[in-house]
Amino acid sequence: MDNKKVLEIKNLIKDYGSRGFHTRVLKGIDFTIYQNDFIAIMGPSGSGKTTLLNMLSTIDKPTQGEILLDGMDITKIKNKELSKIRRDKIGFIFQDYNLLDTMTLQDNIALPLSLNGNDSRRCMEKTDQISRMFGLSDHLNKYPYQLSGGQKQRGAVCRALITDPEIIFADEPTGALDSRSSRDLLECLKTVNDSKRATILMVTHDAFSASYAKDVYILSDGAIRCKLSKGDDRKEFYDRIIDMQASMGGDFA
Amino acid sequence: MIKLAFGNFKASFRNYISLILSLAFTVLIFLNFRSVLYSDAMDTLGQMSARNIKILIQVVTIVLSCFMFFFIWYSTNVFLTQRKKEIGIYVFMGLTNQKIGCLYMIETVFIGLTALVLGIGSGLLTMQLFQMVMLSISEITVDIHARLSIWPIVTTALVYLTMYAVFVLKGYVNIVRSSVLDMVSAQRRNEAVNQKAGILIVKAVLGTAVLGSGYYFAIKEGGQEVMANALLAVVLVIAGVYLLFGGLLPLGFQTLAKNKKFLYRKERSLWVNNMIFRMKKNYRTYAIVTVLMLCAVTALATGFAMKGRYENIVHFRNEYTYQVMSNQKNLNQKLEKLIEKDNEIRYQSRTSVLMLNSSVVDSRYQDSVYCVLSWPQIKQLAGEAGLEFKLPEPGDDEIIKVSRLYLLSLITDRSGISIQIKGKEYQQIEDTSIPYLGILQEKMPFYLVNAQEYEKLKAYGQELTLYNYKIKDDRHIKASMEELDTITSETDQNYTAYIVSDPKSDDLGWVKIVYSLCVFMFMVFVLAGGSILFMRMYNDAFEEKSRYECLQKLGIERKTLRKAIASELKAAYVAPFIVMTVSSLFSVHALANMMYTSLIGVNITSILVIMAVLICCYFLSLTVYWKNTGC
Repeated sequence: MDNKKVLEIKNLIKDYGSRGFHTRVLKGIDFTIYQNDFIAIMGPSGSGKTTLLNMLSTIDKPTQGEILLDGMDITKIKNKELSKIRRDKIGFIFQDYNLLDTMTLQDNIALPLSLNGNDSRRCMEKTDQISRMFGLSDHLNKYPYQLSGGQKQRGAVCRALITDPEIIFADEPTGALDSRSSRDLLECLKTVNDSKRATILMVTHDAFSASYAKDVYILSDGAIRCKLSKGDDRKEFYDRIIDMQASMGGDFA
Repeated sequence: MIKLAFGNFKASFRNYISLILSLAFTVLIFLNFRSVLYSDAMDTLGQMSARNIKILIQVVTIVLSCFMFFFIWYSTNVFLTQRKKEIGIYVFMGLTNQKIGCLYMIETVFIGLTALVLGIGSGLLTMQLFQMVMLSISEITVDIHARLSIWPIVTTALVYLTMYAVFVLKGYVNIVRSSVLDMVSAQRRNEAVNQKAGILIVKAVLGTAVLGSGYYFAIKEGGQEVMANALLAVVLVIAGVYLLFGGLLPLGFQTLAKNKKFLYRKERSLWVNNMIFRMKKNYRTYAIVTVLMLCAVTALATGFAMKGRYENIVHFRNEYTYQVMSNQKNLNQKLEKLIEKDNEIRYQSRTSVLMLNSSVVDSRYQDSVYCVLSWPQIKQLAGEAGLEFKLPEPGDDEIIKVSRLYLLSLITDRSGISIQIKGKEYQQIEDTSIPYLGILQEKMPFYLVNAQEYEKLKAYGQELTLYNYKIKDDRHIKASMEELDTITSETDQNYTAYIVSDPKSDDLGWVKIVYSLCVFMFMVFVLAGGSILFMRMYNDAFEEKSRYECLQKLGIERKTLRKAIASELKAAYVAPFIVMTVSSLFSVHALANMMYTSLIGVNITSILVIMAVLICCYFLSLTVYWKNTGC
């Protein structure tokens, strides 16, 4: 494990509702993500997964607590700076891909780079390089409607990776995929994590997906219940996650 | 069923407000124009003028009907595609296509009726204002009284409802005939984005060629065939504009999108791709807007040209008050005395006129009488009457035509004309419409020859003398007429006749109304063009909403997105504007040729006005777009 801290969360609390009707969704969460981590956050619905991810990805602000991204507290940064951070330091992968249907896969992947004012030659080189890694070289000139779900999601991963972000947030990335495509995608994420030293934070309710991560945090009722770490074997890790799920009860979704 | 349709209509009212407003706008304009027919203003115009105006308003009605037709077509189409997506869901609820079609019809009828009621209501409110503004532009003073006639309302409603019914039925048939799969998949956006380059190239080449030939026919000078050429030019330009927007524009953008070096710079990737994505749906809008704007410029130019001509003709006719034609050579002293009994003479002039029998003359136009003038005499006359005289002295086989001012001439080729007098051919070297002979120039053709030729030609006709007088105060015109009556006679020995130009007689008064009609048509066309583009952008913004939300989630700055939107809208507004500007140069040039005037000023002014309107629409759509997409 590298020592560089990418994301540090300290006593994160989030309340919803107006005065008198407080609902505490997150009840003081602490954890740290180091460079080259691959972390999955699991939990039943209503456990606060999405709220947590929204705050980490600067879309929402916490009621209390600190989120340090690359040493900066993003809860205290102004909106304008925030979008800069989102642009430069964070990559996003969504459940429904969110590729733009108006442009080709190549343009989709290159979009963040070109919008950031990068040289067009660099945009093309990086797009080529990254799409080769994900086996998408033959599909670059296709439009999203011509691609399968798996291809689309891999495209979205490429797009998230192209700016070399500090961390990638993936929100149920396999949620809309069949099992084969899911496995392909997860393998890709794992390879990226292994080779390219990308740091990934994935939110999922699916034990199979979670078993690809190095560490799994289980969130329940607004707090982290436990942390599971992968050993050498993914299968064994998967079984452990399933056991934990069963022991905790509640519906995971 | 009706309840459900009404519920739908109410729920989606806000979405369709732009549609309803634009439909109401067309009804309003239509009603306003029709009501002019039944207004007080018509009674005050002379009979001749009123008849002309009625014909004109019928023509305008036809133009407006076409316009309304397209507008209804356009908006029902937008409505149909938008509804089809939602309607598809009903399929799963077990409704048959017929039932869904009925549902659509009822909803659309609600929309149509709302628009009609709104349009007629606002039309009734603005009618008075419209007529007042129109008359004041025409410089006609009439007191307008509130007079409500049912007829314009009935005709407007009838025309509108008939057209609307046609398109509602068309939509119904469309829904009944479409398969369930179509309707459901209308929700999904999986249509091909790029269009085949081959087809685009053909379209682009064809479009350029057709447009080019349209321009060619518009400015080609000629004789009688000019009218046919003009019509051909109109058809070709419209077809060319469509093909150009359907071919060249998408081709250009697709080529740009393929060039990644160009594309991956700033926000280009976003807006260029968006343009391409929208092109298939939007190119017709761009073409319609271009044609509308072109109509606007041409209408305004026509109006100004007509007004200019009208003023010139009035001036032309009032060059002299009295013109006496006689076979007696020394009447001037006598006439002067007669006129000065009641009026003061401002200036006078005299010349001899040689009237030739039509049998000795062979020319392009058959007239009953041809008159020949002597160059030195006219030069002297010009000095007496204070008119400009720059005509060169004609050679022995040359003539200069002294003609009238035409309101509009279809014959634009004025070179190589010759006439034969007694077998001798004279080449026409120039054509002047300076009123040397005043209103007489409107009555018959005059030819100017040099002094020697004039002497020679005397053998073939009768020489008369023309005495021209301009009095100081036109109001006392009648007084001297009684005096002049005493000397007229029509015997062969003593032929004396006179002609009076009364500035109050206004058989061309309708031209002034044409002018104001043209100004209004200009405004209607410009506003319509602007609002069509605006409506298009408004609808697009709704569809783009999710796309821009997603981009924001990806961390793309609002500023960047706003810039991308601005660039896209700019392109959408600039493309029609450029094609319109280029085309208008040709159409106005053609018009200027027919009207014998330069219309460059009007052309530039109208282009500037259109630019201003488009800039306003652009900023309006930009704000709405930003708001609707949440940027």
